[in-house]
Amino acid sequence: MSSKRASTMPAPLKPPTSLASSLIIAEHASLTGTHLITLGSNTVVHPRARFNSTHAPITVGSNCIICERSSIGFQSEAAANERQGILIENGVVIEVGAVVEARTVGEGTIIEVQAKIGKGAVLGKHCKIGPLCEITEGEVVPDFTVVYGPGMRRLDRSGVEDLKMKMVARQIEVLKKLIPSNLAKFQ
Amino acid sequence: MASFTPYTYFQCPCTDTSTPTRNLGDEQPPETEENSDDERTFDPRAPRSNYSLYPLEHLFYCEDCHQIRCPRCVLDEIVTWYCPNCLFEVPSSTVKSEGNRCTRSCFQCPICVAPLSVSSLEAPPEGLGAELASQQNGPFVLNCAYCMWSSKETGIQFEKPNGIFAQLAKIKNGGEPILTAKDRRKDREERKRDFSGSSAAEESQENEAPINLDPNERLDPESQFSNLKAFYQTQMAESSPVSALGFTGDYGYGSPGALSRIMGLYTGGSYADKKSKTKSGTMREARDALEGLQIDPLSDEDAINKLRTEGWESTASAEQRHEQTTHTPFLSDLRPVAYLLRTKRSKRCKTCRHILSKPESKVQTTRFRIRLVALNYIPSIIIKPLQPILPTASPLLAPLNPVQFLLTFKNPLFDSVKVTLATPAKTPGRFPTKVTVLCPQFEVGANTDVWDEALRDNNTKSSLSGEKRRTKAEASEGQHQAEAGKVWERGRNWVSVVVEVVPPSLRIEDSEWLKSEEMKRDGGEVRDGEEVVEIPVFVRVEWEGEVGGEDSGLGGGGKDKEVREKRELAYWCVLGLGKVDVD
Repeated sequence: MSSKRASTMPAPLKPPTSLASSLIIAEHASLTGTHLITLGSNTVVHPRARFNSTHAPITVGSNCIICERSSIGFQSEAAANERQGILIENGVVIEVGAVVEARTVGEGTIIEVQAKIGKGAVLGKHCKIGPLCEITEGEVVPDFTVVYGPGMRRLDRSGVEDLKMKMVARQIEVLKKLIPSNLAKFQ
Repeated sequence: MASFTPYTYFQCPCTDTSTPTRNLGDEQPPETEENSDDERTFDPRAPRSNYSLYPLEHLFYCEDCHQIRCPRCVLDEIVTWYCPNCLFEVPSSTVKSEGNRCTRSCFQCPICVAPLSVSSLEAPPEGLGAELASQQNGPFVLNCAYCMWSSKETGIQFEKPNGIFAQLAKIKNGGEPILTAKDRRKDREERKRDFSGSSAAEESQENEAPINLDPNERLDPESQFSNLKAFYQTQMAESSPVSALGFTGDYGYGSPGALSRIMGLYTGGSYADKKSKTKSGTMREARDALEGLQIDPLSDEDAINKLRTEGWESTASAEQRHEQTTHTPFLSDLRPVAYLLRTKRSKRCKTCRHILSKPESKVQTTRFRIRLVALNYIPSIIIKPLQPILPTASPLLAPLNPVQFLLTFKNPLFDSVKVTLATPAKTPGRFPTKVTVLCPQFEVGANTDVWDEALRDNNTKSSLSGEKRRTKAEASEGQHQAEAGKVWERGRNWVSVVVEVVPPSLRIEDSEWLKSEEMKRDGGEVRDGEEVVEIPVFVRVEWEGEVGGEDSGLGGGGKDKEVREKRELAYWCVLGLGKVDVD
C-alpha cells in the first residue's frame, strides 16, 4: 500500500440514509449522492460496494447481499418514470462488479459477476442474470427468467425458490461473522 | 481488413505429391509436363498441399526413420479412457460393454453444457445437531449452477445421491419408470411360449408375469430398438437357420450357418441352396410395439398442439438436440447428457512402428514418457519484417514493391547445423512472387548451455565462421542494407537471414507482357487466398550427430564416444509473409 495522503478533493457529501439496525455494512463501502439511501435489515454490504444516489433514491430490501465493486445507482439524469429511484426487493444477490441501474429488481433475483443492468430496466422475481450478461435500458424481464451465455434466455420452472432464499439466508449468516460492520459511519 | 500474422508451415514427406500439381480452381491438370520429381517446386496453393502442411508444433520426428512425421502418418493407440469430469479411469472392457460415456454421476446440462451437480430438494438440517445429521435425505435432483436448469423440470428425481447414471436409466422424463431390457426379454420369452401353444406356459404367464406389456404402448427409442432387434433376430433365426451363405447375422465359423456353407462348398452347394429356397418367404414384419413397431399418428398432433400452446420457447435448439442421443424436439424431452469419455493416446510411426509419443497412463499426470516432437529436432523459423512497420502504415504489401523479411532460424539440437535454403525465383501460381534469399547457406550454432557462449565470447572475439556478429547498435547506425551472402544477425543457437520478396500485382487487366504463363491460360478473377504471399522454401539441414544409441553404446564403451555420424534432413516449408494490396 502506498502511504496515506489526504485527498485534495473535498470529501463527497454524505447522502441521507435510512439504515436498518441489523444491517451489515463494511467500513469501505461507499455511499454517495444527494437522495435517500435505504438499506433493509439483515442485508450485507461488502467493502467497496458503491451506492450512488446522485440522480435518484435507492431502496434495498432485507436479506440482500451486495458484493465488492458492484455499483448501484443511476449514472445519468433520471427520466420522468425513473424518479422514484431504484428498488431492490428482498433476498437479492448482486455479485462482484455488477452494475445495476434497474428501476426494480424483483425478490430473490441473482445478478451475477460483472453483469450489467441497463438504466430503467425492470427485473422480475427470482431471475438470474448470468455472468457478464447485459440487460438493455428500459427492458422488462419477466419472473423466473434466466439470462445466460450470449444473451440466451429461459424460464426456470424448477420451483426451488424457497430453497434458494434459504441458501441466501445461510450465506448471510456466515457473512455476518466475517464482515465487521460500521453502521455508525454512514448514519 | 484483418491483420495478418506471418506463419510457417512444414511439409510432411509422407504425402506423395507425385501427381501433377494443379492451380486453384483448375478444371483439368495443366498440360505441360513436370520436371523430374526432385526438381519440382512445391506449390503451396495446390489443392493437395493443404493436407501435408503443418505448423511445426503439430509434427513429430521419428528418430529411427530420421523423418518428420505428421498426424497423418502416425498410428494412434489408446492408452486410457477417462471421464473428463471425475477423472476416473474407465477400463476398456467397460467401455466396450457400457459405452463411451461416464457411468458414474457425471452429467452435462442439456440446456447449456455446464456440469450438473446433485443436490437435495430438502433444505439441509438446521439447528442443534445439524452437524451430526450424517447425510441429506432425498429426493435428489441434478441441477445446473449456470443456467439453473434442474432435472425436476422434466420430472426426474432420484432416491440416492450417487450412481445417478443407473438411476437415470430407469426413469423416463416425467418420472415414469422405464422397463429394463431384462423385463422386456422376460416378457418376450413368455410370449414365445404363448405362441407355441403349450397350456403350461399359458398358465405360468398368468400366474407369474408381473407385468403385462401393452402392445400399443409408447416406447422410448432404446427399448424400441431393442425390441426391433430382438424381433428380427428371432425372425432371421427362424426363417433361415441355415442360409446358403451363412449370413445369419453371425459371421463366426462356429455358427451352424457357416458350417453348412462350408459343407455346401464341398458338396456342390445343392444341399444348402435347396434348403434356403424352401425356407425363404416366411419372414414377417414387426406388428406391434412389443416387436418394435411404432406407428404413432398421435405424436405429430401432440407436437403441433404443444407448439400451439407453449410456442417456440418450449422447443429445443439445434445445438441442444445435437447433444442428445435421441429425437428431442421439445425442452421437456431433453435428458441430462452423460459426459463423453476422453482418451489418452500414444502415437507410433507408421513405417517403423516406434513410439513417437506416449503419455503417462495415470489420468492426473500430464507428463509424457516418450515425446519425440519435431520442435526438438528441426530448426524453427520466425518471420519478421526487416523494416519496422509503422502502426499507421497499411499492413498490406504494396504490389511490385520489394520488401525484405528477416527469417530467424533457431536450432534446438545440441550440435551445430548447416542450413541450406532453396526457393524458386518465382513462386508457382497465377500471380508469381519473386523471391531472393540473400544468404542461402549458413551455419546455426548448437543449442548449448547459455553460459558457454558468454564464456567463449570472453576468450575469443571472433565467432564461428569469421563473420562479425551484428549488434543491435550497429544495425541501427544505418547499416540497414542487407548484403548478399552475409548472415544478418547471429546468436548462440540462432541465425537471421534476409529474404527479399517482390509481391505480384493482382490486376487482371495488366498488359500482356507482365502476365505469367498461368495467367495467360486462366484469366479469371482473383480467387480467395491468392492475395496471400506464400513462399515455398526447400530447407536442407546437415549436422553431425551422435550415432544412434544401441549400436554405438555396446561396442566401444568409453573410447567410442567421439564416433559421429553425418545426418541430413530436407523438407519443404511454406512461409506466409503477408497479403498483397488488391487494388
